[in-house]
Amino acid sequence: MQKKMAYSFPDEVLEHVFSFIQSDKDRNAVSLVCKSWYEIERWCRRKVFIGNCYAVSPRMVIRRFPEVRSIKLKGKPHFADFNLVPDGWGGYVLPWIAEMAGAYPWLEEIRLKRMVVTDESLELIAKSFKNFKVLVLFSCEGFSTDGLAAIAASCKNLRELDLRESEVDDLSGHWLAHFPETCTSLVSLNISCLRSDEVSFSALERLVGRCPNLRSLRLNRAVTLDKIANILRRAPQLVDFGTGYYAAELQPDVFSNLAGAFSSCKELKSLSGFWDVVPAYLPALYSICPRLTSLNLSYATIQSPDLIKLVSHCPRLQRLLVLDYVEDSGLEELASSCKDLQELRVFPSDPFGAEPNVSLTEQGLVAVSLGCPKLRSVLYFCRRMSNAALVTIAQNRPNLTRFRLCIIEPKTPDYLTLEPLDVGFGAIVEHCKDLSRLSLSGLLTDHVFEYIGTYGKKLEMLSVAFAGDSDLGLHHVLSGCESLRKLEIRDCPFGDKALLANAAKLETMRSLWMSSCAVSFGACKLLGQKMPKLNVEVIDETEPPDSRPESCPVDKLYIYRSVAGPRFDMPPFVWTMDEAVRILH
Amino acid sequence: MQKDGAGRSWGLGQHRCMELQLGLALPPPPLIPIETFDLNSYGNYETREALGTNALSWPLLKLGPADNDINNIHHHNSSSSSSSSGGGAGCKKRSFDEAPFFDEKRNVPKTLHLLLWTNQPNDEDDDPSNVLHENSSSAIFKNDGEGLVGWPPVKTWRKKVHHQIPNGGAENNRLPAVENGIGGRASKSTYVKVKMEGVPIARKIDLSVHHSFEGLTNTLMRMFGISDGNRKSFKLTYQDREGDWLLAEDVPWRTFIRSLKCLKLIRSRG
Repeated sequence: MQKKMAYSFPDEVLEHVFSFIQSDKDRNAVSLVCKSWYEIERWCRRKVFIGNCYAVSPRMVIRRFPEVRSIKLKGKPHFADFNLVPDGWGGYVLPWIAEMAGAYPWLEEIRLKRMVVTDESLELIAKSFKNFKVLVLFSCEGFSTDGLAAIAASCKNLRELDLRESEVDDLSGHWLAHFPETCTSLVSLNISCLRSDEVSFSALERLVGRCPNLRSLRLNRAVTLDKIANILRRAPQLVDFGTGYYAAELQPDVFSNLAGAFSSCKELKSLSGFWDVVPAYLPALYSICPRLTSLNLSYATIQSPDLIKLVSHCPRLQRLLVLDYVEDSGLEELASSCKDLQELRVFPSDPFGAEPNVSLTEQGLVAVSLGCPKLRSVLYFCRRMSNAALVTIAQNRPNLTRFRLCIIEPKTPDYLTLEPLDVGFGAIVEHCKDLSRLSLSGLLTDHVFEYIGTYGKKLEMLSVAFAGDSDLGLHHVLSGCESLRKLEIRDCPFGDKALLANAAKLETMRSLWMSSCAVSFGACKLLGQKMPKLNVEVIDETEPPDSRPESCPVDKLYIYRSVAGPRFDMPPFVWTMDEAVRILH
Repeated sequence: MQKDGAGRSWGLGQHRCMELQLGLALPPPPLIPIETFDLNSYGNYETREALGTNALSWPLLKLGPADNDINNIHHHNSSSSSSSSGGGAGCKKRSFDEAPFFDEKRNVPKTLHLLLWTNQPNDEDDDPSNVLHENSSSAIFKNDGEGLVGWPPVKTWRKKVHHQIPNGGAENNRLPAVENGIGGRASKSTYVKVKMEGVPIARKIDLSVHHSFEGLTNTLMRMFGISDGNRKSFKLTYQDREGDWLLAEDVPWRTFIRSLKCLKLIRSRG
């Protein structure tokens, strides 16, 4: 039943108004107001974000939004980062590129995360989109430098080529030479993931030299320290720079050349790279340290004293990624020097070692939580924790929005009391009212999930491992966390009951991953049968799930909502629980 | 205490789906006064005892262990005081065969009721955690000796960069040094463990950036904070692939690089 609008804005006016609305959520809200707004909005939406490439089909997207210029797609579930998703599971971008090639000739931007991208896809992109500007491949795989050569050669207005953390088949460094001499448009180039030593350095230098708008440049590991100065001198306007190897025999002229080159970069605010650092070369950075807001030293095997010295020169630091070589002492220094710190990530230098190799404990994190009032985002690997420390952290920093703690040994209790860490994490969710992402570790019972279900109202993503006692734990989360979008669970004693009792909840979430839990094949089938808007996928590399009794637990389970129905590009070790498809198989 | 923090959002769960609102119209529970659960008391180590006892009597949800029955929570009739101890471990048989969690008036498929265990055979004689254990041994150690798959959750990308040499790594032939300039095989590792006599913590050093004993020694001196004056009192030794410990300077650089597994700085006598 439609009411005639009392006022009549021409569509163009509404369209103009809508053009100021950029966020997806707002755009979605706009489209729900009335039919005519839905129509106007869909014709003028330029950017689409699809959090799960299997939640919708390319054709559906194209049908609704005919004038898209920028698309962002995500493929594999997050646990794929840790080898829990077998190769070949899916996440292929080619079908999307193929459909968009015809429908969106003016597409400018493609951003992909955890997707399989082939050279064929890259070549198709290069061929199909005349005004292509931005290609971001975050944690992608499946392509080689041949595909990159096609992009370099064909995309006349390429602005961004960002391959962060992707796995590239590095056949030859000469792909860089495929950028034509006329290409001067680059703003951002990130090739840090390339492993080969063969990056054609002269081609790179020339490219950098002729792109006056280049703001972000991240080199790969093979670029040696002595080459940095040359590159920087060609691009003093850089805002973000990633080095290669930051190690060499200490030579005074190399050092002064380097220091001079850095100091000529007046806009430089962000540094990364730093594979294998020789500490003697760190002072070359001192001239820019006062301006630095972001520093990624997470590959740098430098020890705490050197880290302390460096960090104490960076009072404006907002973001620090570092190895646990920083130790508690380094973090204490960080807490006193860097009052603007918003994000801290501490990675383990020896994740598989049985014994601690560094003196990094919960104390470091407590110190930072106390000293850095703007701290919002934490990723912390350590080997011991206590409820008291967690409670202190929570009280110190109620403004935390992301808290990911990994105590390296599974099921580690509070080292002081030997109790579970339920209360500590409970304090985190209770005090940090805007917490949107949480990763748990250590010894945890169902109690922690009670707290999470009770307090975690803004929680959107939860990662759980080796925790809980029973289905009650999962039930608390599914029934309590109103904003939950992504839930990933491994090695927890959660079974059918909580899942089936909260089946409807799953349709409100993007996805649920459960591996090495206790969900039976029968329950999966039931879910698949009863919930047509969910894709229920059972992954088992050893044998088909129906070769065992229905009550047997499945190895891995991935459930996601979808309006596209079950997919048909599954490998043999993935079974869909969609009844119709299952029967056909 | 009647309130049930989880109950409010139970079944409601998702505020986005208007049509799923419970017809049961549960009154929103009063906010829990801070005093009943004062996390402030956990701030000090001195109150560890308080921590110990209070942790187990979470007043918010009446999870009596004896009948750790979902229905208690759901029907708000659990007047049992928090005699809970030991959490939910005692729960073996849970009956979900009470009235559905979702009100009939809700716009959900009728078939949702079938999901509530009325029709399931009571096969949950197995403690779910037992089931986990049966499978966990195969699941957890699938990775044959490397321990848990995907744990700790460090990205593959990061693992490859920091190629960790296992303690006493006999089984993995992680040949370290590759000469500088040989590129791009994914599993190449140029990091070697270095220990110094008397120092418990080992370090790692990337051999591919060094081309001579001089350079290597310089880096090591710096790494372990040995001043130039003290340099003479240390000798560099290495363990080769056969497990023998040799003096580094006794062999040419190329031989050293090809055969070494790990390094040790020892104090020279005399």
